[in-house]
Amino acid sequence: MRRLWLLPLALWLPAVGEVQNPRTSAADVAAGAKTFRSHCAPCHGYNGTGGLGPNLAAGRFYHGSTDEDLFNNISNGIAGTEMPGLFYSADRVWQIVAYIRSLGSAGQTAPPGDAKRGEEVFASKGCSRCHQVDGQGGELGPDLSQIGASRSAAYLRESIVKPDAEVSPRYWRVSFEDGQGRKVQGFLLNEDTYTVQLIGMNGALESYDRAGLKDFAIDKRSAMPSYGGVLSSRELDDLVAYLWSLRPAGRGSK
Amino acid sequence: MRTIAIALLLAAAAAGQVTKEQLLDAGNDGANWLTYSGSYRSWRYSRLDQITRENAGKLKLEWVYQMPTTLMVETTPLVVNGVMYATEPPSNVVALDARTGRRYWRYQRELPKRINVCCGQVNRGVAILGNRVFVGTVDAHLVALDARTGAVLWDVPVADHTAGYSITVAPLIVKDMVICGISGGEYGIRGFLDAYDAATGKRRWRFWTIPEPGQPGSETWKGDAWKTGGGPTWVTGSYDPEQNLIIWGVGNPSPDWNGDVRPGNNLYTDSAIALDADTGKLKWHFQFIPHDTHDWDAVQIPVLVDGEWQGQPRKLIYWAHRGGFYYVLDRETGKFLFGTPFAKQTWAKGLNAEGHPELLPNIDPSPEGTYIWPGVQGATNWYSPSYNPITKFFYLSYWENRSVYRKGEQEYSPGNRYIGSVPLIDLPGDLGHGGVRALDPQTGKVMWDYKLETKPWAGVLSTAGGLVFGGSDEGYLFAVDAATGKELWRANLGGIIRANPVTYLVDGRQRVTIAAGNALFTFGLEQ
Repeated sequence: MRRLWLLPLALWLPAVGEVQNPRTSAADVAAGAKTFRSHCAPCHGYNGTGGLGPNLAAGRFYHGSTDEDLFNNISNGIAGTEMPGLFYSADRVWQIVAYIRSLGSAGQTAPPGDAKRGEEVFASKGCSRCHQVDGQGGELGPDLSQIGASRSAAYLRESIVKPDAEVSPRYWRVSFEDGQGRKVQGFLLNEDTYTVQLIGMNGALESYDRAGLKDFAIDKRSAMPSYGGVLSSRELDDLVAYLWSLRPAGRGSK
Repeated sequence: MRTIAIALLLAAAAAGQVTKEQLLDAGNDGANWLTYSGSYRSWRYSRLDQITRENAGKLKLEWVYQMPTTLMVETTPLVVNGVMYATEPPSNVVALDARTGRRYWRYQRELPKRINVCCGQVNRGVAILGNRVFVGTVDAHLVALDARTGAVLWDVPVADHTAGYSITVAPLIVKDMVICGISGGEYGIRGFLDAYDAATGKRRWRFWTIPEPGQPGSETWKGDAWKTGGGPTWVTGSYDPEQNLIIWGVGNPSPDWNGDVRPGNNLYTDSAIALDADTGKLKWHFQFIPHDTHDWDAVQIPVLVDGEWQGQPRKLIYWAHRGGFYYVLDRETGKFLFGTPFAKQTWAKGLNAEGHPELLPNIDPSPEGTYIWPGVQGATNWYSPSYNPITKFFYLSYWENRSVYRKGEQEYSPGNRYIGSVPLIDLPGDLGHGGVRALDPQTGKVMWDYKLETKPWAGVLSTAGGLVFGGSDEGYLFAVDAATGKELWRANLGGIIRANPVTYLVDGRQRVTIAAGNALFTFGLEQ
């Protein structure tokens, strides 16, 4: 009996069963933003870029990425996580979905510059010594294979010209002298009251007891030099265009 | 006939595992851990002294009990004659053999699909009387279970969970009643404290923490704001049998960070309240923060001490409040006696003669953000402090950090968040730190400070063995010297500790249990 009930519902759905968001106007996005800021932002951040909960502006969703998945997750919460459900009408939830879809770089127009030339700039100016794209390149800096999906063109430009503007704690560098007088430097992974864990500059994972360490310091600046005076403005445009183009194919990748 | 049947039933209950007399004397019963805070005075202190400064270094793991959950475990287990009763989040109860950690039974609560609890579907523990175990649920029911089987004896709705009410608090037994608080301060509830008949589940009384128009205190509200005024009661209070007073903390007004819609002092939010245990009538109140706009609930444990004040014997309450001040109150009148900061705060010049804060300018949340110490989670929070009658110190876990308090628009809709902004709880790169401090409770002076890199959500336990046990977000359980704060022992439990430690005897040997990560860990001395 239950199966028979489902049939007419399935016929009513659009082809391949994908539910479309019925509330996607600019007014819906604005209304969704308002609801988002009072109900979702405490965990997902004021602009949806994450906090206690995951970043929703990167176009990557780990519990289903269709509009219907988002709708269900917002309505019902996600079992086994801290994500609660909302006691709101379907229309209001669809507005939140519309707002989430408006975040990040999805739907933005490409910045000026030639991505193909930018790829050459990336190779010739030494970016790949520290950054990987699709498995090629060094490992000291962040992997940029999908950076265009999670960062705006303006953000990418700033990161090249002013690397210190925002540095992820993952790239803070810790330095100290250990009990044997050896100088240690690396990227701070974790620290607690009694121990510290880091990635050494040679890429090895290292862990130390804090007792007995000398000159313990954390440098929150970027290890990357500024390329502001190194690149011409055309090279900079091209490089930004290249980085912006680095994203998984299609919207809402898994 | 019915009268006789009920009388027989009551006699059977009285002859059960835990009697009213045992609860009154729980502070002297080192073998068991019978109430959330260990006694009605809420000292979280044990007279057990097998584990000492000298041998604490020989503590070894006895057993681990893993819970099938990814939710935070905040339970304080109770232990009665070698049986441990603990809650598993969201609202399950288990009975374990305290010697081996093996399970006797589990009560598994079936829950509605949508449950909204501000800060995790958690539970802080059960209460026990006779052969009955009592648990509050996140869908806002109070349930009585058979302590021998976990079978449901009664199950009563306390409030409507679709309107944002939930229960995370461990109930407290007073006489033949189950005293139960409510959560939902982030959902525009109207708070209360309830008393239920332990035998039947029938409600004896309800004290509304937000008075309705015409009631005393209603002059501190305007318009309809009282209907959604908050004032939850989500941390277990204390009981003073001599005065027959239940003393309980009341949480924040709603919406939390935008006070514009609720002008006035907003009684009895952010207050200590003292209720007659038989009637639920208010005897006195003390409001720590009138018209709070920082979410600094007064949901801390009221620590009741009969001590001296300025040379005279006096019934006192020691209270370290979330806003960063430590208070001494008179337990008979609620009168403020003394207060001083125990952590950095940037919102008050000090306290006036009535104990009310003298506010500094520009401390209110603002659209662009206002930086204030302490942060949103306070200089301390729900995790338990301890009072040790030997050292005469008051111990607490503290935080030194700040938040950015933002103010935003807020519209009420039943069952959804009603908070009025999005504070930035932790500033990136400026997370602050925490630790455990010992205060001289008469002066508020810091006697020692055990610093942690991180901000702990674990309560403390002190013992006659001269120890203070505490835990950290880093996953360490530690024992320090109660007199000096010197670390004596620690163990890495591999998961965040957001719970309070307890101690008790199994086969005559002292054990210490605390929840960490998704498990309970029990330690004893190496034999």
